[in-house]
Amino acid sequence: MKTVSLGAPRSSTVKFRMPTRDNLVPIRVDIEVDGQRYRDAFTWNPRDPDSEVITFAKRTAKELKLPATFVPQMLHSIQGQLAEFRSYEGQEMQVKEKIMPLKIDLRVNNTIVRDQFLWDIGNLESDPEEFARTLCDDLNITDPEVGPAIAVCIREQLYEIASQTVSAMREAKMSKKRRAPEFASNSKAMNNAVDMFKYFGSKGSVIRKRKEWYLYEPVVDVVPKEEAAVVDAKEQLK
Amino acid sequence: MSPAAAGAASSGEAPPSRPPRELYTIPASSGWFRWDDIHETERQALPDFFGGAGGTGFGTASRNPRIYREYRDYIINKYREDPARRLTFTEVRKALVGDATLLRKLFGFLDAFGLINFSATSSRPAAQQPGPGAVVEAPLGLQVTPRPPASYFAEERLGGGTGDGAFRLPQLTSYTDVFGEWAPGKGPICGFCGEECKDGKVETLKDGFKVCSTCCKTNSTNKEEANKCSIVKKESSDNHASSAWTDAETLLLLEGVLKHGDDWDLITQHVRTKNKTECIARLIQLPFGEHMLGNINGKSDSRFQTNQTTDGKTNHFIVKDASSQSTDMVDGMQIDGEEDGADKLVEDHPSKRRRLCSSIDVTSSLMEQLALLTTAVSPDVVAAAAAASVKALGNENPQAKKAFHFIEKEYQVKSFSSNHVQESDCNVGNKEAEMHGQTVPDEKMEKKFISTAYQVRAAVGTAVGVAAARAKMLVDQEEREMELLMASIIETQLRKIQYKIKHFDELELIMDQEYNTIQQIKESLMKEWQTVLERAFQTGAPLQRDEVLTRLFLDRSTP
Repeated sequence: MKTVSLGAPRSSTVKFRMPTRDNLVPIRVDIEVDGQRYRDAFTWNPRDPDSEVITFAKRTAKELKLPATFVPQMLHSIQGQLAEFRSYEGQEMQVKEKIMPLKIDLRVNNTIVRDQFLWDIGNLESDPEEFARTLCDDLNITDPEVGPAIAVCIREQLYEIASQTVSAMREAKMSKKRRAPEFASNSKAMNNAVDMFKYFGSKGSVIRKRKEWYLYEPVVDVVPKEEAAVVDAKEQLK
Repeated sequence: MSPAAAGAASSGEAPPSRPPRELYTIPASSGWFRWDDIHETERQALPDFFGGAGGTGFGTASRNPRIYREYRDYIINKYREDPARRLTFTEVRKALVGDATLLRKLFGFLDAFGLINFSATSSRPAAQQPGPGAVVEAPLGLQVTPRPPASYFAEERLGGGTGDGAFRLPQLTSYTDVFGEWAPGKGPICGFCGEECKDGKVETLKDGFKVCSTCCKTNSTNKEEANKCSIVKKESSDNHASSAWTDAETLLLLEGVLKHGDDWDLITQHVRTKNKTECIARLIQLPFGEHMLGNINGKSDSRFQTNQTTDGKTNHFIVKDASSQSTDMVDGMQIDGEEDGADKLVEDHPSKRRRLCSSIDVTSSLMEQLALLTTAVSPDVVAAAAAASVKALGNENPQAKKAFHFIEKEYQVKSFSSNHVQESDCNVGNKEAEMHGQTVPDEKMEKKFISTAYQVRAAVGTAVGVAAARAKMLVDQEEREMELLMASIIETQLRKIQYKIKHFDELELIMDQEYNTIQQIKESLMKEWQTVLERAFQTGAPLQRDEVLTRLFLDRSTP
């Protein structure tokens, strides 16, 4: 069998984008106007013109029967997040294999999902929506809101990791003359990543130990509506 | 997806000599799948692992053919733990280390090709329809489930006609789970209906798979097919002569022997499926059968003795007019012969015991045994033994001499052979029956009775003599063998000792050589010292320490 050099994974650089197949930015909106609260999470294509954001905000407010005062707040929130994303866009992003554990701990309506799995940050073919859909199918989750929520949660984490990596790279470039860049940039981001040698080396096994299964197993709880209301109230008090 | 179709495909493909393996159904379109290879289809569908067009991440640590196979084999094996259940990606990913996206892609590939979830019953709307045909493929890798009983395949092949198409054994089944307990005292269990065959009529297929008569009838449409691949044997409880012994039957036999001793009728009842002679023959064939029988005989010795006395009594009854002395004599002779045999040979022991005990119940069987015994050796030996026994009888009792004279006249034309003995034995049996029926025997008849009684004794004597001769022969053989073995042992030992001596010689030589070299080294050292010292003296005053050292050295080396 052909041996693959573990130490030097092939890497290339691209302009910053979401490390997924569809370059969709996760957006989370949480605004409160006059005692009414609007919370939402969705994905947005950064290539769409900004005028779309206005249309979207207006339409959402209308459909949810929210007062018109919400619209500027929503616009502000969404555009702010898009601007943040775009600020990264000009920068170089290194694409190389890095497998990170992602954690999900969500409550959507009265469904609680806890899960952990590994995700290759360097895989630009990944599809969080598809993953979430499979998860919901496999676990017979009927609530249609759970799947998108999981997908957005994954995207948020990917976005965070990607932006961190980019920032680290920029810092490294700036201080290139003084310090060894690779080491400095990697040490922080790689902390969490899976030890490649351990699992993918010739002596390792990709079959996880049975006693670790529970860590990577999704847990779904459905809580009664009343309890969910109580939790909601508690969160609002914070 | 019907197992019948799968079975048909398997019978065509799998070599019959192979031990049965688990059968899994995969669609015909995925027939390329091999445990020990990666097919081109796989390479094209999942370029990530193999490079090529679209393989973005190939060459990295987590993406190479080896990892691919590990993933693939695990997922397929996981599915095959319970083929009826749908395996989900969520379930798989918790056990596999790797990129979730990549794993999902791989999982989707296997699922689409039917390598997993093909036979799953709980279908999702996305479940694909089974292909037109199916090939069956057995795994080489890890097997989680135990091997199904051999009859499983026969059942599947034939049972497809009777049962519904979706016949499926639950996982981790054992023979008893499926076919029920085959307890002693019951008839054989039918492989089809799983019920006891009460009428005792069963048909045995070529792999020892029993089918009861009712199932046979219902299955008559399939019978032609079945006939092709199986030899059907009608077996009634009386006619088992040609059938082989199964383990269960042997176990029953041993149980019966332990329980009932040498009461073969009871043992036969216990075994049920075999008759008496077969039981006996089987026990003798068993490597430890003799030993067992010997033990039992030892235990039931007392009973045996009483049997002997009854034997004597019956003898007495048969030979009404013969003197009690002659009866004793015959008994004594029997015992003498027996003792001889016991001294000389253990191997013949059980057969002799059997002969004696069977003589208690039926006289004809004794004669059969005698005939059997006499056929075991050459006719010359038999003739000699017979002559000797006749002579001995004649010497003991003049009446007997007369009787034999009479018989000789009768059978003058015929030569003495084992067949002859049997014939005369039959004669004896008939005459005995007559004797029992008649109440007033006349003089001549009486004489005849006496003669037949002597004849019986002569026959017994012959048999014993024959047995003894055979025993002697065997003993001689054994002795020769023992001697041979002993000689070979001694020879080996001698050779061993010789080797040892040789070895020691070599060692000594080596030691000598070493000693010589050491001596040489010593000498050379001495010389060197000498030269050094000489030089030292020539150049000037040596150091004191050196002197002391040299003196020491010299002191030591001189003695």
